[in-house]
Amino acid sequence: MAQIEQSSGGKKKKGAQKKMAIHVDFTPMVDMNMLLITFFMLCTTMIKSQTLSISLPTNEKVEQKDLQKAKESEAVTLILDTTYDDKGAVKDNVIYYYFGQPLYEKNGDKITSSSMLVSKFEGNTGKELNGIRKILHNRNKDVLDQVEAEKEKWRNKQITEEQFQEAAKKIRNNSELTRPVVIIKPLADASWESVIAALDEMQINQISRYQIGIPSPEDIGMLEAMPEYQKAHAGDKK
Amino acid sequence: MGKVKIKRKSTLIDMTAMSDVTVLLLTFFMLTSTFLQKEPVTVITPSSVSEIKVPTSNVVNVLVSPQGQVFLSINGDSDPDNAEKWGTEAMRGEALRTVAADYKAKTGRDPGITNVDILKFQKNASFGVPIEKMHEFLSLDQTKQDAFLGQTANKPVVFGSLKPSDIGVPFKDIVYKDEAGNQIVTNQFQMWMRAIYNSDNPNMGEAIKKGEGIAVKSDRGTKYETIQHVLDNLQTIRMNKFSVMTALKTEAD
Repeated sequence: MAQIEQSSGGKKKKGAQKKMAIHVDFTPMVDMNMLLITFFMLCTTMIKSQTLSISLPTNEKVEQKDLQKAKESEAVTLILDTTYDDKGAVKDNVIYYYFGQPLYEKNGDKITSSSMLVSKFEGNTGKELNGIRKILHNRNKDVLDQVEAEKEKWRNKQITEEQFQEAAKKIRNNSELTRPVVIIKPLADASWESVIAALDEMQINQISRYQIGIPSPEDIGMLEAMPEYQKAHAGDKK
Repeated sequence: MGKVKIKRKSTLIDMTAMSDVTVLLLTFFMLTSTFLQKEPVTVITPSSVSEIKVPTSNVVNVLVSPQGQVFLSINGDSDPDNAEKWGTEAMRGEALRTVAADYKAKTGRDPGITNVDILKFQKNASFGVPIEKMHEFLSLDQTKQDAFLGQTANKPVVFGSLKPSDIGVPFKDIVYKDEAGNQIVTNQFQMWMRAIYNSDNPNMGEAIKKGEGIAVKSDRGTKYETIQHVLDNLQTIRMNKFSVMTALKTEAD
């Protein structure tokens, strides 16, 4: 491990001190350290997970008239549905949506057709928006345009980040703009992933007013009349 | 012919520099890391654009397995000055004592939690068994506990009266009468959450009020009805602000 070498010089002057070179072999030390590093690397989490905060209304009964504050023209209802493959893994997350009060035609008790539409979580390709994001974006255009203008100022260093956040918050809560009220209604089968994705779209599209609700019997009736829904759930066990 | 003399060269390499580097790396990892929490079920959280980090102190992690079993993990105050009063272990012990007393008051049955149980409970990162079976569960050794919680549906593990259906904090209704004689329905999950909220640690109550004190964690593929059940219980006890654990969204998503 450690050895002391005498400098093997040829002739030596008498009385001169012997020069000692000390070699310590660090190889085992390095080995041990490497092992420890490997252990720490495997046993630790470097990235902390993120959180998304949610506020739900209380379960206490709220007066009916308070509930229906949202203007009909502003309401957007998203119904989330998920299909699973044979192994129980998520196959597809689908969104059924309608604006305002739904319109539907009835044949007896059965709803035959409605104003319900279908979309998906697609995100954007480059600057092009797709799927539900595009629909929500168009609904919230007033707010997004103003936020974008503020962001431009921030990019050009005219305002600081705090000022931008402040301004964005003001715009999001400005009641003079037409802002949508989104009601997210996950079906019992909807995956957690799709609920989070829907909440995420609210953040992306700067929508400040949204809530999580339960699908009404009409919603279910309209869903069952949708050819897309029928097709997706054709193989389901009854 | 003169022999060609091969010069013997020393093969010693100076490892000092290498050692320096490894020690530095080691120090870095030791200081920056937090250990992976042992969790009874592995879940892959959904991704979102939110960039708020999960707090590590004053937070209750509510882990919901795809089957709907609920595991709780209590993290107390991180301030070392408060460790004795409000630290993680102190809070866990306090919560267990409160719930055991609460359970006895409401049902008349004593769960029989001993001081040894409390000491063992404080060391466990997360828990998820009914309070009436807590004593039996804590009497098992660590490997048996893990085997019990980590069992799969096709290989059931049974220890004494601990059955596979005993995994997870139960949501079974507990009906009792308050002082005024009104019937009140609660369950063990609500009792735990209340015990944590009303603990001596004021920072915990504050965090729960702000919505940072409760972190719900569940798998991507878990059905909403499973989680809604948990959320509904939180709403009932007026903890309607909480956070949901997500992973950071990557470009591909």
